[in-house]
Amino acid sequence: MKAGSGRWYGVSGADVWRTVIVAVALWMVGVGGAGAIVHASRDDRAEAQSAVSQGRIPLPFAVDPYPGTYEPLPRTDTLIVGATVLDGAGQRIDNGDVLIRDRKIVAVGHGLRAGGATTIDAHGRWVTPGIIDVHSHDGVYPIPSTSGEEDSSDVAELSDPNAADTWIEHAVNAQDPAFSVALRSGVTTLQILPGSTPLFSGRSVIVKPVPAADVYAMKFPGAGQGLKMACGENPKSYFGEKGKAPNSRQGEIALVREAFLKAREYLQGWRDYESGARAAPPERDLKMDTLAAVLTGDIGVHMHCYRSGDMTTMLGVAAEFGFRIRAFHHAAEAYKVVDRLKKAGTCVAVWSDWWGFKMELVDAIRENAAIVDAAGGCVMMHSDSATVGQRLTIEAAKAAAAGRRAGLNLPPEHVIQWVTSAPAKALGLQDRIGTLAPGCNADVVVWSGDPFSIYTKADQVFIDGALAYDRSKPHSAPGPDLLLGRPEAPPEARAGVQP
Amino acid sequence: MSCPRASVFPGQGLIAIAFVLAAFVLACTSARAETIAVVHAKAWTLTAETPVENATVVVAEGKIVSVAAGSAAPVGTRVIDAKGRPLTPGLVHPATHLGLLEVSAATDTVDTGTKAATLGADFDVQYAINPNSALVQLARADGVTRAVSYPVRSGVPPFAGMGALLRLGDSGDVVESSGVAVFVSIGNHRGEADGSRAAQWELLRHALDAAQHDPKVVALQPVLNGTVPLAISTNRESDILQAIRLAADYSLHVVIIGGTDAWRVKRALAAAKIPVIVDPQDNLAANFDQLGARLDNAALLHEAGVTVATAVLSGIHQSYNAGESLREGAGLAVANGLPYIDALRSITLVPAQIWGIAGRCGTIAPGKDADLVLWDGDPLEPSSAAVAVWVAGKEVSLDTRQKELRDRYLPKAGLRRP
Repeated sequence: MKAGSGRWYGVSGADVWRTVIVAVALWMVGVGGAGAIVHASRDDRAEAQSAVSQGRIPLPFAVDPYPGTYEPLPRTDTLIVGATVLDGAGQRIDNGDVLIRDRKIVAVGHGLRAGGATTIDAHGRWVTPGIIDVHSHDGVYPIPSTSGEEDSSDVAELSDPNAADTWIEHAVNAQDPAFSVALRSGVTTLQILPGSTPLFSGRSVIVKPVPAADVYAMKFPGAGQGLKMACGENPKSYFGEKGKAPNSRQGEIALVREAFLKAREYLQGWRDYESGARAAPPERDLKMDTLAAVLTGDIGVHMHCYRSGDMTTMLGVAAEFGFRIRAFHHAAEAYKVVDRLKKAGTCVAVWSDWWGFKMELVDAIRENAAIVDAAGGCVMMHSDSATVGQRLTIEAAKAAAAGRRAGLNLPPEHVIQWVTSAPAKALGLQDRIGTLAPGCNADVVVWSGDPFSIYTKADQVFIDGALAYDRSKPHSAPGPDLLLGRPEAPPEARAGVQP
Repeated sequence: MSCPRASVFPGQGLIAIAFVLAAFVLACTSARAETIAVVHAKAWTLTAETPVENATVVVAEGKIVSVAAGSAAPVGTRVIDAKGRPLTPGLVHPATHLGLLEVSAATDTVDTGTKAATLGADFDVQYAINPNSALVQLARADGVTRAVSYPVRSGVPPFAGMGALLRLGDSGDVVESSGVAVFVSIGNHRGEADGSRAAQWELLRHALDAAQHDPKVVALQPVLNGTVPLAISTNRESDILQAIRLAADYSLHVVIIGGTDAWRVKRALAAAKIPVIVDPQDNLAANFDQLGARLDNAALLHEAGVTVATAVLSGIHQSYNAGESLREGAGLAVANGLPYIDALRSITLVPAQIWGIAGRCGTIAPGKDADLVLWDGDPLEPSSAAVAVWVAGKEVSLDTRQKELRDRYLPKAGLRRP
């Protein structure tokens, strides 16, 4: 993708981004653009030169100075035959084949030919797109948790209710054992979100759970960032107890509106500068950078909210300032306001059965996902936990079963979308992952059986057409560094260590 | 206006009261004494390795009378057709905080611990149990008929206090007995008052030593004479070995709760006949005591001959989804090598054995309490649910707040109630 040729987010079919030139971002400060956020690449210097003259340079806050270095694992072209295939787009293909070649899905159907690809006999097994966890704290919620980090965990920056200037990728520990177990559970994409204590909790990062020494080698090429926001009990109780604002729900909303008012001015400043209506550029403000990108639609908002009234209030704020909330996370009472969510085009990311442990969660019900779905809303499962994140299909299974008992029709080929194509859409990656459509990235899981059964395991996990984990060869993916050299660690922990 | 009829027909009120009383007594006795027969059940009696297909289970006076394949229901019994669905003993949650908390983030609704410096081993949670808790209601609807509810901390560490045995009928008190075990918590102390795990073990030993010479330390006498277990929540290998040593030194009946590293010392645990309540979801090093976490802990222990109960012990599910998580955990243990029948026992018979109530519950056998659950599918699949639950032979309500919320809002979402 060339600088200025389009938006960073929601780009379809974009190739792997190449070298990073951080300086380009700074160098481009002060030159006008089209409101797009782009990665700076090896060729950007030359591109930028001509773009400057053509007035196509993006707004400076829309440039990512920290692009990824992800390199896919060696490609393993594969034909999976005879499986029960759930394609993530709502179809079920019995006794189906899936052909993976050159890192993409080539075809799904019957009687496909391998043409040199390795064949996996998957009779009696199931195949789905790779699982997507839209709400993870892997890499920032310390494992093991110790008193040494109790008051300074990296889940969120807690010094200010507006932490919109923080980027969670600057904290992610790629060595977190949670990534290794996520991969072994069929997860191929995760959105790492900051925690929900600040109102503006910070920018998210989208990663692949591949072995890596830093987060940049895990970053999903070309994927955008999100902004985590929070409403309700968490911000007001944390800051309120410290004698700071906000200490009430109304205080939270006032601070959010005030921040967006400023962001609107900030954005206008850049647009005026871009059009020549003002001579000097506005002073860079990292918090305002993020909020301006929300207003331009370049950063998707992922909003932690539980109560129905909190959600509709935040929909009101979004309408006032002209942005869309991609998804409410947790959304315990979504089933009470499905119409409002549908009208706003806002999805919900939910658990199957968490309830009751805080006041805004006492009305959570197990049928929440099913009701939102059946009423025409957009729903997905999320984990918020390295434990739940290993069994997102079980989350979907429990939520769907509750729905079926309430008389709703939820076949497996539909429900699998809650952990594949629905989160892909919420991340703006629906044209690249989340379904087994030809041309999509070959993120594929071969399950030992029905993925909605507690007895089922991920047998093979492909990321970008590479076999990233094979259960029959526990050493196919390295275990976490944490467990090296520990007495009698489980054998898989030492996988990847050369004798 | 007052009630003129009462003065005109003075006898009528008394007659009405008599009728109400008679009906009440009849209802009570019929609920307890009703003879029922569950027919065409796939009965997991747990006394055998395989289920009894097409079983007829007869219940009278709150007890199981008979279990037999294909037999006709006795004349005069109310017949329930299981239609081939699985019937199990009521689930027995081995370690929960049911009845002790409502909204854990609102501390005024939480009764799991105390800082009172005068309460240690004798901190007794029976006085706090709330049978009307929404958590209890949901656990019952999810098939839990008995549970041991235990405290998390007392004012005298490492003691947490005494746990209570609950029986989750749907009317009246749910405390079946108190003081079923004394609970202590060792390790991962986060620099609290006791400071070091060495201090935790020493304080525990000092307390036991003192109690040997002081009958006024009432709570510890049954522990010392072996009639009540000492339940130790601990995870690290060194602490589990200390627990084994303690049990030998004082001839105690010790139960390990958690036991992340138990697989490392499985033979010693089997030899010492110390049971372990394992969390089958435990595979991440939540802290430095749990570096050895692995999903096959329960399977490895069982294989070595250790008595293993399972229960999800971390996070909210231990109490908020006590029944559902109990089954999900046992299912996960099966996925990681625990034989299916032993996983079923790990949430019924084994916890009953651990807490000394296996004489009356935990299996479907003549003479046992008629605490039964009929399921709509495999009970170890978390997506299955209870379709009927009996406590002491009486079918209990499966209604919950969640269900009423569901039914209120389904029509508002443009959907029909089931």
